[in-house]
Amino acid sequence: MTEPTPPTQTGSRTTTETLEVSQVADLCTEIEMNVADVIVGHEEAIEHVVTAMLGRGHVLLEDVPGVGKTMLARSIATSVDCTFRRVQFTPDLLPADVTGVNVFNQQTREFEFQPGPVFGNIVLGDEINRAPPKTQSALLEAMEERQVTVDGETRELPDPFTVIATQNAIEPNRTYELPFAELDRFMKKLELGYPDPEEEAELLERTVGHHPIDALEPVTDRETLVAARETVANVAVESPVREYATRLVGDTRDHARIGVSPRGTIALLRAAQARAVVNGREYVLPDDVQTEAPVVLPHRIKTTDRDRNGATIVANALERVPVE
Amino acid sequence: MSTKSDAHAGDRTARLDLEEPIGSKAFRLLACGCILVLTASYVSVLHDVTQVVGGTRALVALVGAMLVAATVLAWLIRPRTATVGAVAAGIIGFAYYLERSGVGIGIVRTAGDTVLSDTAALAAGLPLLRMVEAGIWTLAFVPAPVFLSWYLAVRGRYALSVLPGGFALVFLVLTGDAGTIVTLVGTLAAVGAIGFGELERRGGSIAQADLLAVLFALIVVLSLSVTFVPSGSGPSGQVAGSDSGTLEGTMDFASEQSGIGGPVDLSPEVRFTVEADQASYWRTGVYDRFTGDGWIRTGENRAYDGRIQEPPGQYERSSQIITAETDLGVMPTAAQPLAIEGDLTQHAEVSRHGQVHPESPILEGDQYAVESAIVDPDPEQLRAAGTDYPEPITEDFDYLQTPEGASSEFEARADVITADAETPYDKAVAIERHLRSSKGYSLDVERPDGNVAEAFLFEMNEGYCVYFATTMVQLLRAEEIPARYVTGYTSGQPVGDDEYVVRGTDAHAWVEVYFPDHGWVAFEPTPGESRDSVHTERVEQAREAGAENVDTDTSADDPISDTEDDDVTERPDENVETPEDSQPDSEPENETESTEPESEDADPETVSDSSNDGNGLWHSLVSLLTVSRETAAIGLIALIGLVAGGHRTGVTTAVRRELDLYWQRSRGDPDRDAERAYRRLERVLAREYRPRKQSESARQYLNALASDPEHAIDPREKTVVEGYERAVYGGGVSQAAADESVAIVDELTRARLPVIGQRH
Repeated sequence: MTEPTPPTQTGSRTTTETLEVSQVADLCTEIEMNVADVIVGHEEAIEHVVTAMLGRGHVLLEDVPGVGKTMLARSIATSVDCTFRRVQFTPDLLPADVTGVNVFNQQTREFEFQPGPVFGNIVLGDEINRAPPKTQSALLEAMEERQVTVDGETRELPDPFTVIATQNAIEPNRTYELPFAELDRFMKKLELGYPDPEEEAELLERTVGHHPIDALEPVTDRETLVAARETVANVAVESPVREYATRLVGDTRDHARIGVSPRGTIALLRAAQARAVVNGREYVLPDDVQTEAPVVLPHRIKTTDRDRNGATIVANALERVPVE
Repeated sequence: MSTKSDAHAGDRTARLDLEEPIGSKAFRLLACGCILVLTASYVSVLHDVTQVVGGTRALVALVGAMLVAATVLAWLIRPRTATVGAVAAGIIGFAYYLERSGVGIGIVRTAGDTVLSDTAALAAGLPLLRMVEAGIWTLAFVPAPVFLSWYLAVRGRYALSVLPGGFALVFLVLTGDAGTIVTLVGTLAAVGAIGFGELERRGGSIAQADLLAVLFALIVVLSLSVTFVPSGSGPSGQVAGSDSGTLEGTMDFASEQSGIGGPVDLSPEVRFTVEADQASYWRTGVYDRFTGDGWIRTGENRAYDGRIQEPPGQYERSSQIITAETDLGVMPTAAQPLAIEGDLTQHAEVSRHGQVHPESPILEGDQYAVESAIVDPDPEQLRAAGTDYPEPITEDFDYLQTPEGASSEFEARADVITADAETPYDKAVAIERHLRSSKGYSLDVERPDGNVAEAFLFEMNEGYCVYFATTMVQLLRAEEIPARYVTGYTSGQPVGDDEYVVRGTDAHAWVEVYFPDHGWVAFEPTPGESRDSVHTERVEQAREAGAENVDTDTSADDPISDTEDDDVTERPDENVETPEDSQPDSEPENETESTEPESEDADPETVSDSSNDGNGLWHSLVSLLTVSRETAAIGLIALIGLVAGGHRTGVTTAVRRELDLYWQRSRGDPDRDAERAYRRLERVLAREYRPRKQSESARQYLNALASDPEHAIDPREKTVVEGYERAVYGGGVSQAAADESVAIVDELTRARLPVIGQRH
């Protein structure tokens, strides 16, 4: 289940090395192009995943099986030359299977830490809702804290650290639904949906021989990604934008049982920062917030009303809340 | 009082630096001041009345007492008590008035409708001075409003306090006593009191006083341009001789008053003809109350019911048949009329003084018969009449009234003139002689200021009948002899045995003096010879000029009177009021400019010549600038009102926004410049296509507009939007970028202007 682990790269988060906005924008384009070699369509979803990565967020892909969730995650991970780990969540998976365990070394007669799959730059948690909450929370805790505590010893996770999780929307009886509080830790929740007929034809043509994922080459490396994330973090968010985000979030709180949390607001602005960079801007516009809101906010909202879900509430808020 | 001022600071006024709330104390002072001005306005009207009929001191004392009482009682008694007290005081005052005017309180019970109709008559324009006991009425009227309004003002109930004062003022406006200026001042004060009171109560700011300015301007302009006060013009308003420039016009300009004018003209037109068995002065009006500058007939007319009170003593009967030769506002009769006959009797009224008046003007050709009592006792009889005047003459009428403030010098002079006379008759004759001998006759005199009788006696050397008669009446009254001022016509030109043609030139005023047991006897203080010559001359001139209506069929060939008219040539051209004479060389009427566009005056070349001429231009400029001071003042007030109203309704903001759209001044802050440039662009686009939705960002808005191929979106607009985004969200733009945005928007907006845009 776990692959042999190369030396972990626990990069420092204090890197001051940054890239120009245009360079980051170009980088994103390259990654997207690369991924597009494997994934047919879903350009928006690809971009959302890339921006989430740049915005130091994690992504939850939710859909029916077989629409390419795992393939999307894998191809993005492959495009960046960094460590990629994959955990297939099953009902019998234990937390230690995710975080790693201390193993007694017979030769040195010492306990040695055997890092789990969570120690990677990009971690793919496949079918995360098949594992019991105990195991899920091991991963989710690591997502939030960016560190893992095993037997009282705290170990920092590598930088960058991005979790791309997938979950099945069907078979509710054989899955454990993610707790609402933990859902909040994903920056974005994406739904891929079925491809268009043309796209599907294209997909078939590509995959009928060798699967293109096998030929996929990285287009960038870990250091560049860290520098790009630094660039995104430096993007200006002026007070009119902050106020707009606050108004948007406030509106969801007014119209749902549980609205978007402050963590959601932070996630929204981080996603908007990444979005601004992708669009080649060093400052965030309300437009960026509007683009990100439909994927960042809905899964943080709980409604009692059957007719309305998080998505409609966010859509209404976008329609209603004045930009300035 | 609340001082919650910020709560009312609207957005509109937020930018003004006038937001600073003025202390409520200042507003209180202003409001109280306005109430005092309002009080002063109607008290001044009443003061004018008491100046004539007496009681000024009482009025002033009463007003002062009421103000003091209101101040003292303001916090001692409750409003209800104050109202009841004031109303009670008013009722008591009016009861006293009714008693004094000889009507009796009982009339309220027995003839409530009469009292009501009296009040209605007052409200319909009957001046206060026509009331029999105007002085008492004034004193009865004044306490309630003065006390109530000041009481409420002291208590801070400004809006309520305007009610009694406003009621009093409105009433005086309806009676026609309050002039335009007084009404205006009072109304402004009332509005001011309410406005400042509101501002004090709500804790307003000066910026909110703009509404007051609007109201002020509205009232001023309205009151000066619209007359809603019923003007006291009587039947003579539309009929012959009503021209204010003529003697008849000044004497009988309103049925109930007789004015005293300056220089007057005489109309030579025939007014009426009389068939009578003996010549007489034809009386048209009797007046008893002297205001100092005019005469007023007190009391109301009653409908003619067949009889008029006859003289107390012996009299001869004389009958006349009077035929109107033009429309007349008066009914000439020989004094004293006893009865009239004819169709007109139904429309005749009789004054308290026994003179008949037409209800509506008599038309040309109307005829009526009059039976008159000619009182013509011997001088001996009159000398023996004594001074035992019946009470009604001395008490109920104003036959002994002199205006307040008549100088003691006047009385002294009266004493001197009548020094040798023992009886009233001798005194009257002495006064008559004195005036006839000491003053000359002239129609061309300047009307003096102040008391006309005194001015004529002391300062003037000449005058006409009005002056003579007025002065004689006042002199007689100074000697405590009941006398009254009478207007009408002299006997006129005799035609045949018993017919008289009476013209406008015969208009006259004379004096009637009361003698116990005989009644009213006419006296003539105007020097007859000089008067006749002036008047005759006037008719001769008119005849020579060929004026219409100067003669009847029978009168044309006869001389006007026995007096010689040899001095006609000595006094050439006086103004003649006939069209032919005043414009002897003018073209016939139908050849006016409008019907003859080819006439020289309308020639466009001529016009342009004169306007190109520097002098002409200068003159027209000067004439444009030299508008009258009143017009300028009203214009200024209207302008202030417009601006304030615009401010209140947001028009000025709209205009400023409109100007802003086409012209943007650099503020030296590139971020703000760029933002404003975008705002202008947004407004232009909103006007052309659709407004930006609230939830739409600038970029989305522009993209949405651009996505419609029918919309002509200039690619440069994107630059403006980016400049705006950078200024607002991106931490600032350079001045150059901001200037570029402004320049682009300037060009885009101006290209949309209807005229300038054509050149782009």
